Amino acid sequence: MLRTSAMAAVLCLIGATASLARTGGARTVIYEGVATELAASSEPSSDLWVTLKDLTRATKFVVKPQGVCRDESCFPLPKDRKSQFVMKKGKVTWFNLSEFAKLIKQPTTFDEQNSVWYFGPRPEQQNAFLTSLEAPEFTLPDINGKKHSLSDFRGKKVLLVTWASW
Amino acid sequence: MPGWQKLYSELKSKNFEIISIAEDTGGVKDAGPAITTAKPEYTVLIDDQHLVTRLYDMVNVPTGVWINEQGRIVRPNEVAYVDNRFKGMHGVDAAPYLEAIRDWVDKGDKSTFAISEGEMRARLKPQNPDHSLAAAEFALGEYLYATGRGRDAIPHFKEAQRLNPESWNYKRQAWALSSAEKDYGTTFGQEVKKLNGKPYYTPRTLPNEVKKSDEKKN
Repeated sequence: MLRTSAMAAVLCLIGATASLARTGGARTVIYEGVATELAASSEPSSDLWVTLKDLTRATKFVVKPQGVCRDESCFPLPKDRKSQFVMKKGKVTWFNLSEFAKLIKQPTTFDEQNSVWYFGPRPEQQNAFLTSLEAPEFTLPDINGKKHSLSDFRGKKVLLVTWASW
Repeated sequence: MPGWQKLYSELKSKNFEIISIAEDTGGVKDAGPAITTAKPEYTVLIDDQHLVTRLYDMVNVPTGVWINEQGRIVRPNEVAYVDNRFKGMHGVDAAPYLEAIRDWVDKGDKSTFAISEGEMRARLKPQNPDHSLAAAEFALGEYLYATGRGRDAIPHFKEAQRLNPESWNYKRQAWALSSAEKDYGTTFGQEVKKLNGKPYYTPRTLPNEVKKSDEKKN
C-alpha cells in the first residue's frame, strides 16, 4: 500500500514536471557541447528568452551597448528590431537567445517535450580550417578519463583514424 | 586494432603517432571492451558526442586523416581500412593505404601521397548547412540518450539521418542504440543494398591506384 502511494506520488511529480515544461518551466541549453539548466521564462513563448545572467552563464556572451559580445568579438543587434532581442520586464532584462542564434546563423534545434535547446557552431567556426588547413582541434578522454588534445601531438606526423563498436 | 598496433610498432620510432577515436555515443560502456582487449600502445580516445564526426565532416568509420608536424591536414577524409576483414563487403584492399602511410612517414610533405595546400583548398568544401543542422539534431539526440531519455532521442536521430542521408555514422550509431528494424524500419544490409554499389564511405583515391586503373584501360 505504502509502495503504491509512493509510486502515485512519483507519477504525480513526473506529470507535474512534464506540464511545467510545456508552459515555460525550467529549460536546458546546450552551447558548445556544455549543458546548462536555466530558470523558467517569464511567459510561454516559442522563442528562448533568457535572463542576461543566464545568457552569460550558458554562452559566455554579454549584452553591451555595441552588441552581444564574447572575448574580442561583438555581434551588433539590428537597430530596427532590437525589441525582438532584448525585453525589459520589471527589474529583469530578457534576451532572445534563439533569435540571436538565427542572426548569427547558428544551427539550432529544440526538443519540446524535454525543453532542451541545442546550439551548434557558427558556419565560420565550423569552416575555419578551410582557410588555415589546420586540422580542427579537439580534446577527448581516453579509457581512463585522461584528456588528450590533438595539439599535444604538434611536431609529429599524426594518423587520425575513427572506429566504433557499432 | 591489432593491425594498427602492428603498423605503430613499425613506425613509432619515426616521429609518427596514431590517434584512434571511438565514435560511440555509449562512451566507455560501448567502446571500452575493444580497448581493454587489444591494449594498444597508441592513443585511443572516446568521442561520445561525435565531435570529430562533426568537426571533420566524416560520414562513416573507419575514416583516416593525415596531419603533418605543423598540424596541417595533408590528406583529408578517406576510408582507412587496416586489414581485409570486411573486403568481401566493400572490395577495398587495405595494403595500398598502409604503403602510402609508410611513404609519408619516410618522406613527409614530399611524399606523393601528401596533398599540396592548393589541391587541399580545392578539395575541401564548406559544410552543407543541412549537414550542420543534422549534426545539431544528432547531438541533441545524444544528450537525451545520455540523460536516460533514449526514446525521445529517436525523432532527433531520424531528423539527422534525413538532413544528412550520406552519413552512415548517424544511421549506424542510432540503430545500435535501439533497434534498427523496430524503431527505424530498416537494417544496415537493406540500406547498403539500396545504394546499388555506390560506396557508403568516403572513397580512397591514392595516386598509385589511379595509375593502376589507367594502366588497365590502356
